[in-house]
Amino acid sequence: MSAGPGSEGAAVVALRGVDVSYAGSAGGPALQGVDLVVRAGERVALVGPSGAGKSTLLRLCTGAVRPDRGEVEVLGRSLSGLGAAELAAVRRRIGTIHQRLHLVGRLRVVHNVNAGRLGRWSTWEALSSLVRPRETQAARAALSRTGIADKLMARTDELSGGEQQRVALARVLVQDPDLVLADEPVSSLDPARADEVLRLLCETVATPSRALVVSLHDFDLAVRRCDRVVGLREGRVVFDRPAAEAGELREALYLLERG
Amino acid sequence: MTDLPRIASLEATGPAVARARGWRGRVRPRAAGRVWLVVWVVALAWSLSSFLGEDHRVLNTAGWGAFTEFWAAAARPDLSADLLRATVEAAATTLAFGVLGTLLSVLVGIVVAPFMSQTWWAPATASGPSRLLRAGGLLLSRAAVALPRGVHEAVWGLLLVSVLGRDPLVGVLAIAIPFGAITAKVYSELLDEADRAPYELLREAGAGRVTALAYGLLPSLLPGATSYAFYRFECSIRSAVILGMIGAGGLGLQLTLAFQGLQYAQVWTAIYALLVLGALIDRWGAHLRRGRARGRWAVSGVLLAVLVAGSVWHLAPDLERWFSGRTLELLSRLLDDLVPPSLPAGGWSELVAASVETLQMSVVAISLAAVAGLLVATVAARGGTSPPRRVLGWAARQLLLLTRAVPPPVWALLVLFVVFPGPLPGAIALGVYTFGILGRLFAEVVEDLDQGPREVLAELGAPPLASFAYAVVPAAVGRLLAYSLYRWEVTARETVIVGVVGAGGLGRLLEQQRAGFDYPAMTTTVLALVAVCLLVDLLSLAVRATTR
Amino acid sequence: MSHLPARAVIALVPVLALLAGCGADDSSAGGDNATLRISAIPDQDPAELTAREEALAEYLSSALDVEVEYVPVTDYAASVSLFRAGDLDTVFYGGLTGVQARLQTPGATLLAQRDIDAEFRSVFIANADTGIEPFDDVAGLTAFEDTRFTFGSESSTSGRLMPEYFLREAGVDSGSELSGRPGYSGSHDATIDLVEAGSYEGGALNVQVWEARTAAGTVDTDKVVEVFTTPPYSDYHWLGGPDLEDRFGAGFTEELRTALLELDGSTPEEQAVLERYGAGKLIPTDADSYERIEEIGRTLGLVS
Repeated sequence: MSAGPGSEGAAVVALRGVDVSYAGSAGGPALQGVDLVVRAGERVALVGPSGAGKSTLLRLCTGAVRPDRGEVEVLGRSLSGLGAAELAAVRRRIGTIHQRLHLVGRLRVVHNVNAGRLGRWSTWEALSSLVRPRETQAARAALSRTGIADKLMARTDELSGGEQQRVALARVLVQDPDLVLADEPVSSLDPARADEVLRLLCETVATPSRALVVSLHDFDLAVRRCDRVVGLREGRVVFDRPAAEAGELREALYLLERG
Repeated sequence: MTDLPRIASLEATGPAVARARGWRGRVRPRAAGRVWLVVWVVALAWSLSSFLGEDHRVLNTAGWGAFTEFWAAAARPDLSADLLRATVEAAATTLAFGVLGTLLSVLVGIVVAPFMSQTWWAPATASGPSRLLRAGGLLLSRAAVALPRGVHEAVWGLLLVSVLGRDPLVGVLAIAIPFGAITAKVYSELLDEADRAPYELLREAGAGRVTALAYGLLPSLLPGATSYAFYRFECSIRSAVILGMIGAGGLGLQLTLAFQGLQYAQVWTAIYALLVLGALIDRWGAHLRRGRARGRWAVSGVLLAVLVAGSVWHLAPDLERWFSGRTLELLSRLLDDLVPPSLPAGGWSELVAASVETLQMSVVAISLAAVAGLLVATVAARGGTSPPRRVLGWAARQLLLLTRAVPPPVWALLVLFVVFPGPLPGAIALGVYTFGILGRLFAEVVEDLDQGPREVLAELGAPPLASFAYAVVPAAVGRLLAYSLYRWEVTARETVIVGVVGAGGLGRLLEQQRAGFDYPAMTTTVLALVAVCLLVDLLSLAVRATTR
Repeated sequence: MSHLPARAVIALVPVLALLAGCGADDSSAGGDNATLRISAIPDQDPAELTAREEALAEYLSSALDVEVEYVPVTDYAASVSLFRAGDLDTVFYGGLTGVQARLQTPGATLLAQRDIDAEFRSVFIANADTGIEPFDDVAGLTAFEDTRFTFGSESSTSGRLMPEYFLREAGVDSGSELSGRPGYSGSHDATIDLVEAGSYEGGALNVQVWEARTAAGTVDTDKVVEVFTTPPYSDYHWLGGPDLEDRFGAGFTEELRTALLELDGSTPEEQAVLERYGAGKLIPTDADSYERIEEIGRTLGLVS
């Protein structure tokens, strides 16, 4: 399997012949011979059973995991040779969303949203903002895009789970990243909420220069909301198709697992 | 519940139920937090300004030489065979006091706790007058432990010496009386917080009370109760050192004698011994609380049993003395002397002034300890990845260990070299000591924090200080504040032991009255100290309730 | 971490061995009645105190043919409490602590004092930076008004009681007319060190300790100067406990007194003991000598 369809935009993520194995892990390699290119403007879903290597692939893109072999290029830079400062510069342009939101409950919503700005603020700007919040207009705008503008000054741990999810999304919005990586962002939500969150997530990369890579358990959701679906199993890319063509491949991905 | 900070904070006043409910859902006056902050800053400023002498001089530069001489001696402790032998024996004595004091405290706790628990006095089924009666019983039983707990170990020691003389049981009892009371209080709270469903189920199935207790309640109580007992053990060792300083023997005595003779090399030998003892017990405790090895409780249990036997053997308490007519006579004489209480020579104004000064000293000490503790704890927290960060973390942990292993009176004598005499050096000394204790609790809080938010911020490129301020401080601040407030009350009580350097407050008053054997006035002073501690306790309860 | 039990066991083995070992050695300390327990108030460097008391213990042991043990104590008041509780048999007290102990312990007897104790004195010292000049009259003590001043122990006769008495005589109320409250350094040596270091500007102490320290050269006389020596008063003495006859047989108190009074320097050993005490010989004493101290103690609230 080589790079999939959609070859018009610039490559935001490019994996070439990547192997990853975790030291001491009993199973086989986490990723094996993976080739994958994600271009600007694409919304790519990673699907596959647990342990297929979805999280590892996402972590490769942030530089948190280093490949044993092959090359990882993100936002035009090859991650292998980067020093800490250069890696930080790349990371600043990547927004991440986790299943756990990693919000700070005791802070007000505005600070949790502004946390997305910390990569660009100086230490002084960051600290003074805790006393007198900065750039509240941007924070409010991001919150109104996710539908909870009225919660700007509320304390985060007083919000409902759904509202907190929207705060986390607003944090990514104000960060204004070129690449959004989301690791199982909706696995603990009911179908209606999951769909809504994924819609908002896709909106964060609405401009053509950006890309989204999201790992999902829900195959239908992936097909419905994303442009491209990449199937992973046992560390290998099993298929890589436009969403419209991917529906029939669900069987191939999950069937063998039962055998 | 086995983590140290949580267990330690069980000692704070306040019904368990209120804590469990967490005050959630109630209208939280957010402004109250700010008001308290302002009140605190004003109180701190007022305390500090009243400590400055008329000439507003604080630092005594002339004493700098002696101060540095002391620290320089750290590099060359006296390691002569004789002194080492004496040191090891002294360490054994201190350890023995700690072991037996803890054992007795825990026994007292186990026996008394049921009578202090809400479940004993006021079961849900009670109604009408019986309910009132039982509520009264609960109140009474809690009040009954307030006095033994409110009086510092050192004061118990000084009182017991005049009855039991040189008997080693003085040290053991001086620890066990206040610590037994506090252990009973904590155990009763554990009992109240325990899930009673399995117990009720067994009772319904026809099991006897004791059987139901053993199978239904005890298993869930045991980890918390054991963890707390170990925490008490650590506290007992520190108390044993302080009691040693006032004559019980052991490392405290050796430290005092060496310091009085200005034999800094010998002082450091004792300090290193305290550090080793402290580090061993810390590691043991941390292992019990966090380790996963199976059988760790069993191994530790056997070790403790051996330690207890060794301690009894080592101290060889003279039980005959307990039953001798002379002891009884001395006891009745002491009680006769102590009551009725009388005012100090200076009357109410002296008592109130000393109480206020005690309060001021505690405010200065806890402020110093909390701020320094917060700064150092973040460095001391385990989990650093880079080698320099780990070295720094190790050094910070050693600093915390040193500051809490050396008893406050020694810090006071040291501070006195460079700070002009008065309440300030006493408060600084207490602050340094409390810094070691709080910093360690803080470090554990920071270690236990969810690292997610911090990692997320680091990933998107936030500067380290900024991600600390956004992710760590807000998440930890509630618990840090709770522990600081809890420790504030302990600090108020400990002002009594820095009286040795003529630091101010009720400790100084007590020291003067003791010199004149003015027992009735001593009673009043001790009661005043209990009242100050109670006031601090209530204040901290109020602050915690509004800032949660 | 998981290896800790093993390590803990290994680490604790020597400790346990020691607990047991020391216990065995120590068993005589508790209840053995054949040992005469002597002590002294901790008014100076503990090492010197121990050497002095152990020298006396050795002398008494051979003179009386009993086991003698020196029991160190950490503070003055505790020494009085222990004497009262019957844990110390003979104590070398200061004037005030001796009065306190005698009043609190019915049956306690005065044994002896040193030749220098009948006419003991205190010295007032000052940090050189204060510019206080030496003076000869008690009235000169007004020079210490508004200075940071330290006594020795609260219960010390020569370090607190008499200096406070003389300050009052000069019209200086130590409670209100010094700068801040007076300090209590704990011992005579500590008083010298704290005044030398400038922590306190002035202090008062036992003349004997002052002379010993200046003679030994362990005082920087450029930084701390002697400004006044007080008139004489009665000070240190030995007290015997009420249980002596019960424990060592009838007439033992008298034997002990005789043994002390016979300490006159007739042998080199006795000479060495007396030298450590800074005395030429020991002399008899009586309760009358301490009436003045008792009286002053009452006015200062130290005797009740």
